[in-house]
Amino acid sequence: MKSKETNKSNVSEFFSKIVRRQVFIPIAALLLLAIFNLVTDPSFYKITFGYNSAGNPVLSGNLMTILDSGSELAILAIGMTLVTAATGGQDISVGAAIAISGSVILRVLCGTDSRPETLQAPIIVAFLVACVVAMLFGAFNGVLVAYFKIQPMVATLILFTAGRSIAAWINNNELPIINEPSFGYFGGFIPGIPIPTPFFIAVICMVIIALVLRFTNLGLYTQAVGINESSSRLNGLNPAFIKFLTFVILGLCVAVAGLIKVSRFSTINYSVIAKDIEMDAILAVALGGNALSGGKFSMSASILGAYVIQFLMTTLYKFNVKSDALPAYKAVVVIVLVVLSAPIVREWLSSMWKKIKPEGQGKEVA
Amino acid sequence: MASSNKTSKAGGGLGDRMKNMTDTNLLLTITIVVFFAMYIGAIVFQGKGFLKPQTFFNILNAQAALIITACGMSLVMITGSIDISVGGVVALVSMCSAVYLDFHNGNIFMAVVISLLIGLAFGAVQGFLVAYLDIQPFIVSLAGMFFARGMTTIVNTNPFNVKNEAFVALKETRVIVPGFGSVNKIGKYVDAYVEIGVIVAILVVILLFCVLRWTKLGRGFYAVGGNSQSALMLGINVKRTKFLAHLICGLLAGIGGFVYFMHVGSGSASHASGMEMNAIASSIIGGTMLTGGVGNIIGTFFGVLSLSTIQNIVSSAGLDKAWWTGITIAAMLCLFLVIQSVVMARKKKA
Amino acid sequence: MYLKKALATAIIFILCALQTGCGSRFTDKGEPGNAEEETAGNHIIVGFSQLGAESDWRSENTNSMKSSFTEENGYILIFEDGQQKQANQIRAIRMFIQQEVDYIVLAPVMETGWDTVLQEAKDAGIPVIIVDRKVDVSDDSLFTCWVGSDFELEGKKAAEWLNQYAQAKGIAPADIHIVNIQGTKGSSAQIGRTKGLADAARANGWDLMAEVIGDFTQAKGKEVMESLLKQYDNINVVYCENDNEAFGAIEAIEAAGRKVGSDITDGEIMVISFDGVNEEAIRYILEGKITCIAECNPLHGPRVQAIIELLEEGGTPEKRQYVDEEIYSANGTVNSLTIDGIDYAVTILAQEDGN
Repeated sequence: MKSKETNKSNVSEFFSKIVRRQVFIPIAALLLLAIFNLVTDPSFYKITFGYNSAGNPVLSGNLMTILDSGSELAILAIGMTLVTAATGGQDISVGAAIAISGSVILRVLCGTDSRPETLQAPIIVAFLVACVVAMLFGAFNGVLVAYFKIQPMVATLILFTAGRSIAAWINNNELPIINEPSFGYFGGFIPGIPIPTPFFIAVICMVIIALVLRFTNLGLYTQAVGINESSSRLNGLNPAFIKFLTFVILGLCVAVAGLIKVSRFSTINYSVIAKDIEMDAILAVALGGNALSGGKFSMSASILGAYVIQFLMTTLYKFNVKSDALPAYKAVVVIVLVVLSAPIVREWLSSMWKKIKPEGQGKEVA
Repeated sequence: MASSNKTSKAGGGLGDRMKNMTDTNLLLTITIVVFFAMYIGAIVFQGKGFLKPQTFFNILNAQAALIITACGMSLVMITGSIDISVGGVVALVSMCSAVYLDFHNGNIFMAVVISLLIGLAFGAVQGFLVAYLDIQPFIVSLAGMFFARGMTTIVNTNPFNVKNEAFVALKETRVIVPGFGSVNKIGKYVDAYVEIGVIVAILVVILLFCVLRWTKLGRGFYAVGGNSQSALMLGINVKRTKFLAHLICGLLAGIGGFVYFMHVGSGSASHASGMEMNAIASSIIGGTMLTGGVGNIIGTFFGVLSLSTIQNIVSSAGLDKAWWTGITIAAMLCLFLVIQSVVMARKKKA
Repeated sequence: MYLKKALATAIIFILCALQTGCGSRFTDKGEPGNAEEETAGNHIIVGFSQLGAESDWRSENTNSMKSSFTEENGYILIFEDGQQKQANQIRAIRMFIQQEVDYIVLAPVMETGWDTVLQEAKDAGIPVIIVDRKVDVSDDSLFTCWVGSDFELEGKKAAEWLNQYAQAKGIAPADIHIVNIQGTKGSSAQIGRTKGLADAARANGWDLMAEVIGDFTQAKGKEVMESLLKQYDNINVVYCENDNEAFGAIEAIEAAGRKVGSDITDGEIMVISFDGVNEEAIRYILEGKITCIAECNPLHGPRVQAIIELLEEGGTPEKRQYVDEEIYSANGTVNSLTIDGIDYAVTILAQEDGN
């Protein structure tokens, strides 16, 4: 009898421990979506193996779509989490910055001709130039936030307004098209590998950030600055520099996401590319249970949050929801998630739980 | 700075006067000065169009809805919150009004009521989530924006123009501004006019300005945004004040939606796209700070005017490339933010 | 206190500014637009409100206008990009009126809702020339003339081509499973091309499975095609209402492991498209990726210029002017089409003379 009871309390303790973990929120959401799909239509998980027109093996199916299309968001979520943690604000210019870095890549690859027969520069050079440019724009945001003490959302509003115009400017408002097939590898498939490349790129980014967080103090420092700026200064940190650094890192993430984006289409549309992706990236951070007011963060929860959003979108597409109406459903799910994860609601729920629980226990003891 | 502090006890020097001003008034003054410098600059360098009063009234006509929504935005920003759903609400309101008037042949009064109710509903739900459940306003209103945009296309996908006669008559109604007319190309004297929406917008600005300045509720908004702990100690109901700010912002988005609808006369899912960011930008240019506690409705009004004056300058300067608008507005935003930041920092030091 | 002063100054300023405006009209009367006349010389000022820059066709159209109305040709062009919003275009036209341009050229984003602003232009004595999409106004005298394409005819041409191809190859009408990726909803091109296909599908008994909006963009075309391929596994004809949508759709089809081409009995998916304005589209035709393109001519600049010259001489241009358009294919199965009793030759492109 007694052992049974301790066993039980262990189990409930284990559960409450899991529930209290931050990663719980996105995992629960993911599980919920997964089960929902399993019940309504198990064929959702069907993965088919085939060959594309170039004769390369490809895997296709909804799960592949999620892994493929969620990559940019996951990469952006990495940088956005750091910015959020350190500054207590968000960068709303990432979509515009992707347009800029994409435009830079095409400009370097195409040179002066908008439809070149051969590439004017190696892809790696174009990518590195885009990295530098994106990091410069990140640094611009960073300087405004860290040294001019402007709130992040307001500071990045500048680039948000100008970004797409700058992107159009870089290419003289032309729409360059790249015919080189190897450029399409980054957003499609590498011959012989049936898994979409963006997924690999995302995994590489995740591994790098995991190593950085493991072997440097970046994570600790950003959290310290986010929790209390003045006390972190008293402890010998340079809060302004750390804030600045997070924006530069986000710039790097933007360049990678930009490469995938332009590679998917081999061209660019300045007003449409990566539209509203900043909102989704912030949502990913919030769905990961991170406080948008800064401080402690969980990187894995944010990345999972990104895939939750993509999973949700793919599920909705599956149910023939029109792409324009999609945001309405997304909004409902988001509101349910944030309401359930709000501290006040959680407290209220747990007090309700306690009210029910003593009765059940009483019965068992009797 | 320090010397002027000592010498000018009578209240002379600029530095001293700057120091005596509240943050709100200081930022407001900067905005107004810059706006007039810009407009006069436009008249001097580009003449023709800008000399005509109707150019100014056209700015008002086109931006009446933005003025109204930006006022609501300033209000929530003063309480330290934010609402990025306003653009979506404007689109939803104009689509619903359009569908009601055109497909169901409804009357205008009910359309206005529907608009206000939609606005209030958004304000109430978002205000409740933000104020009472303590969820981050950005995420709440982001979801609000998604919901409003999605609902707009669910209500009706295709853009269409409203042909309801009573409505078209209302849309065409012009309030003549006496004494500001001008002679057009073929030598005819044309009276200057504003649309009804402009009258509504100006009423909203005056009303909100009075509320913020002279009522207890108005001071409550500033107190909550400035420091909610001390506001609590002063006996202000912080939660209710925040809720009210969101409610009013929602209501104004509803009104703004109908005014927008009166201006364009059509329903479309792409209406008012990016309006939330324009509203935020106008508020910032008008001297409202996102951290709360500082801001002024008159400033917001001038913020909207500055924003669209720039657009007009860019296009009439013959800078035909579409990108110049975005870049100049961003440059101006940047300039304002840096000025604000520097001025505030110097003031603190002094 | 300071606030009141600031406000007072503001009001004084605004009154000054506006009164100078009023005052200047009297001086203007004496020597009408003297300063302006000097800078503009004898140039004709043209205000052009373009609806956006969503596709290659649109860029070509804009470039055609810009290269026609140059200072060397005696024009000053004020160009305004409406960014797909009618409100922006209305604002632009009002601005042109205030600036007293000589002609307004409008490429409208929607067909309806132009009555008021066109009336204002008419009252100000400025002729308005509509290009590309049409306007639906109660009084046709509100605009001088319209220049553009017959979109329904384009749609009919493409559909008729498919019909003759199917007959030549002996494909039963019920075996033709079509999806239509439409353009921006409500645009003349979308309405006309959709009607052309829908009428033909009804008349011939084709299986028109879906009509979805692709907004004339490559990204949307790809996205839409991806979900269509998941929904229907028997698609064999994709009817894209412009080339950019077709590029996106082809990418989606190839990514899904299917093949594009004209051999629809053998599992290939046939892509039919419109515009054909750039080399990319022609290359796709030569490669057989796009089977057939109904041309939509974007070069409106010279034609509008001719109209303005005619108006300057006091002439009256024709109210509706259609530009000549062809139909391209690299597949020689169909040589000519007959629509409503008129014959149209199909331009067969071949690898040698194609480039």
